[in-house]
Amino acid sequence: MSEDTVPQFELGDALAMRCGNTLTGRFVPGGSKIALSAYRPVKWSTRDAPSETAGEGAVLIYMAQETTLYTEPLLRSLLAETNATFATLQALGQGSKGGPKKTIEYIKISRTYRSVIRCCLEKLEQAKKLPEVQENESREQRYTDAIMSFYAIECLWHLFEILYMQQQHSQLIVPQLLEWTRFHYPNTEDHATDLLLMAEEASECDSYWDTLKTLIMLGQLDVTRAILSQNRKSNQPAFQTAEQVLKTMPVYTDGYALQKFCSQWEYWHVDLERKLTAHVFASEPQLELIMHLVSGSNEHWDAALLKSQDWYEFLPGYLLYTRPACKPFELRIAASNWLNRWLGLRPDWEMTQMSRMVMQLMEHDVKLFIYDTQKLNDSHLFATHLIDLIYHTGQLKAYFDQQNVDLSALRNSMIFEYGSFLMTSHNLWQLGIDYLDCCKQEGIAAIELLLPRIPLKSERQAFKIIAMAKERGLVNVEQDICKVLSKRAYSDQRYGSALEWAVRSKDVLLVTAVADFILKHYSSTGVMLCPDVITSIGARMFVSPRLVFLSKYFEFYEFYRQRDFLSGAELLINLLASKITPDYFWPSLLIDALPLLESEDPKIFCKETIAILQHLEMELVPLIERNKLNTAKFNNQTSKTVFQDYRVENVEEILDLMRLACARNLSRAMIIENTAPAT
Amino acid sequence: MSTTVGAHYISEKISKVRWLPEKLQQSERFLTGSWDMDNNFVRVWRLHANPYAQGLEHTPRCNDKVAVEGDVTGLEFLNDDTFAVGCADGHLSLFHVQRAVEEDQIQRKARSERLHEFKCSQTRAPCTAIAVYGTDIATIGEDGRLNVLSANNLKQVKRAIDADSMTLLAVSYVSQHQLVTANRMGVIRMFDVRTAGDGQPKASFMAACQDTKSSNFVSAMATHPMQQHILICGSEEGSITVWDLRNLDYPASYLSAHNSPITDIGFHRQDPSKLFSAAEAGEVWMWSEKKQHFDASQNDGSSAWLCGDRLRTMVNVDGVLTNIRKAVNSFDVHGSRMVCGSDTEAVYIVNDV
Repeated sequence: MSEDTVPQFELGDALAMRCGNTLTGRFVPGGSKIALSAYRPVKWSTRDAPSETAGEGAVLIYMAQETTLYTEPLLRSLLAETNATFATLQALGQGSKGGPKKTIEYIKISRTYRSVIRCCLEKLEQAKKLPEVQENESREQRYTDAIMSFYAIECLWHLFEILYMQQQHSQLIVPQLLEWTRFHYPNTEDHATDLLLMAEEASECDSYWDTLKTLIMLGQLDVTRAILSQNRKSNQPAFQTAEQVLKTMPVYTDGYALQKFCSQWEYWHVDLERKLTAHVFASEPQLELIMHLVSGSNEHWDAALLKSQDWYEFLPGYLLYTRPACKPFELRIAASNWLNRWLGLRPDWEMTQMSRMVMQLMEHDVKLFIYDTQKLNDSHLFATHLIDLIYHTGQLKAYFDQQNVDLSALRNSMIFEYGSFLMTSHNLWQLGIDYLDCCKQEGIAAIELLLPRIPLKSERQAFKIIAMAKERGLVNVEQDICKVLSKRAYSDQRYGSALEWAVRSKDVLLVTAVADFILKHYSSTGVMLCPDVITSIGARMFVSPRLVFLSKYFEFYEFYRQRDFLSGAELLINLLASKITPDYFWPSLLIDALPLLESEDPKIFCKETIAILQHLEMELVPLIERNKLNTAKFNNQTSKTVFQDYRVENVEEILDLMRLACARNLSRAMIIENTAPAT
Repeated sequence: MSTTVGAHYISEKISKVRWLPEKLQQSERFLTGSWDMDNNFVRVWRLHANPYAQGLEHTPRCNDKVAVEGDVTGLEFLNDDTFAVGCADGHLSLFHVQRAVEEDQIQRKARSERLHEFKCSQTRAPCTAIAVYGTDIATIGEDGRLNVLSANNLKQVKRAIDADSMTLLAVSYVSQHQLVTANRMGVIRMFDVRTAGDGQPKASFMAACQDTKSSNFVSAMATHPMQQHILICGSEEGSITVWDLRNLDYPASYLSAHNSPITDIGFHRQDPSKLFSAAEAGEVWMWSEKKQHFDASQNDGSSAWLCGDRLRTMVNVDGVLTNIRKAVNSFDVHGSRMVCGSDTEAVYIVNDV
């Protein structure tokens, strides 16, 4: 947690070094990357000529990206779990407003967040000990960094929870602060456990009195008493008195009158001081020192403080012996006094970011605190979730109003940033989208931009993204993805797949294009592509008239193949009359009619034959004429014509054949139809 | 009997979970396969009794892992300690799991040639699902191919059928020689995979859909463990279609169930009166047949699943997992315990289902 240092890195680009060692950079949209490249400054006075380095070397573009802790797979669980808690909180926030019950719920949420971080810390500690991590120095360093950051986060969060999330009526904070220090300075407690296990022999241990002293300063009276009672000399009057003093120290319990507690405590304190001046403990100098600490004697505390690690370590303990009824608003003064005192004792001590943030919390400087949380290298995990929590509890609303901070706007922008970060990195899109969902229109817009940019690796993944888009009503995204996949399949010559994706995209132009390709391919080679897909398109064909035509034509094709000529003929006539036949397909369609017309037993009735003839003259002939014109215009470039197949050259011949066939069939059909069947 | 659910975050999106088969006891070990990660793994987990028991009996611990080349798309056991893994790089692998007192181990024993590829560009096509019958393994892929291999020799493909011209999404064995595949349009085809056959589907039928104009893929299929002619299909719109494979003219039953695509569907391995279905929106439901409908007078020998409209009154629906918010991709039930793998990057262990 170094503070206010700008990260530096070296590029060493050869080209840049030759042309004045300057670089240019710009942000790459849709991510946290910066593109850097060599750059020669150009001013208005620069001569407009190729530079001396032109064409000599390649211009290299470097992509710089902010590193995050989350490259480590282990930390993903932290993101996933906080995401689940975040969602729970949002659901809670949508319920009815206010009430003490809710405050309890919010504290629960806060605790869940903390336990998630704690759990992750535990996993990190375990993983750090694995041989595969120990061997890899940079990885071990990453783990150490992560542990440091998240440890600090948990510590600060805990303090925040104590100071700002409690219900108004339980105003005494000293016991909770003691709990807090106990949590975050566990070493002494470990020593104490060792001492307890050693029982009588403990007093011979070198660190015996030091540990006891620290325990007292951390305010852990029960443990201290337990250890003292195991002392060999515990029967002696000095120890007995000490036990008596520690045991009788008044402890505030909920619902007890505060005034009464204060007077009791005052009485106890005076009593202790009287005992000290009477030298009751003089026979045991170490014990006497401890009792001096308990009485809150300044000179003894000052001496002991020189050994402490950080300024806030013993503050709660000191408060316990001097101002046990301290209220949150009084903490502010107590903390700043304490800090001054501490700085006086340790003038050369440099404040770390962590201790500064603790100070900000204790001095009720939440605005600065939040500013500082954004500097932690956790990619704003802490800041985002904390601000969201603050927003939901509403406890600090008055404070923020007073500070002229628009809390809900701040929350929105933090969540937005965090969500966009997740959406764009490390396959975390499924988590990121939950955050963007909370950002109203801005969030929806971001989702609309970011969802289609997720690299599609498999169709299963594509379906998941489509489902997400569908859930949010983002029809465009859904269609875009389908279109991309359709194009991809098309260029890979998987036409069945391309057609189906096109149908899913509901994009008329695309469907028409794919159907066109299949029809053209058929008319030029006689091979029907992907028959299995066309058969099962069913009612989905109505996306595009061309697809309807393709499906219907395929139906005809199937009848034909199965030699069901009568049904085929009927369908063919319908197709001819349908007006959805594409220009290029007219010859194919009419030629398909030829065998039906010419077959030995007539398949097409008189009326239909006339219809065919009519289409022949009204559709095909003008088409050929138009075509001829075009060909003439383009200097006989036959490849540019509407029909690109072998039938083009002999189109006139085909026309004649068709006319003849129609005439023959017409005559036959007329005879048969007009001859009454023998009854 | 109350069900308890434990969620365990494991830092991986999970596409497949399977219990290790145990004959006489409740299985304590399970496998997971991940997807959409920078590095994907197959892992073996072991349940450990939770010393800080507070409603949570067990916590899983990862015993061993093997990196695979792409998303794990299929994971099935062939016998007690061999399992097949289908992978998004179009290959099939065989793994062996070694049960041990301390740390279980998994090892890759064999890897097939590339089974699925796009013909034109010669690039790999993801394998999308696998099915197992005895020592036969069937794989399907986005290239629409259906391969059948024998576990004894992965290098040789016993039977390859170009089953479809688009992505196949689900495959299931009906009998040793018959397979059903389902594609992205919801078309289900039945194939005979004996070498003598011509590779043409024996039958093909469409999954039912509420809106015939929208697409509706079939994403999961399962056959009844006792009555193998009962085929259950879960589809994109969240509905369940039941087919009687002896009568393919119309679906036997149709149930509108979830509101999101069904991701996995399957019967309880030991108790076929229970069916489970998992959905994209993060739900796992249990469909159990009501007992009273099995008295001789009413029962005409056919299963409740084939009863058409009456089915609704003959099954109970219970939510096993709800409100996960992200897709539950896979589940497996062994005895009274269920394990689910999800996109929330957590495994859910459900006791007493």
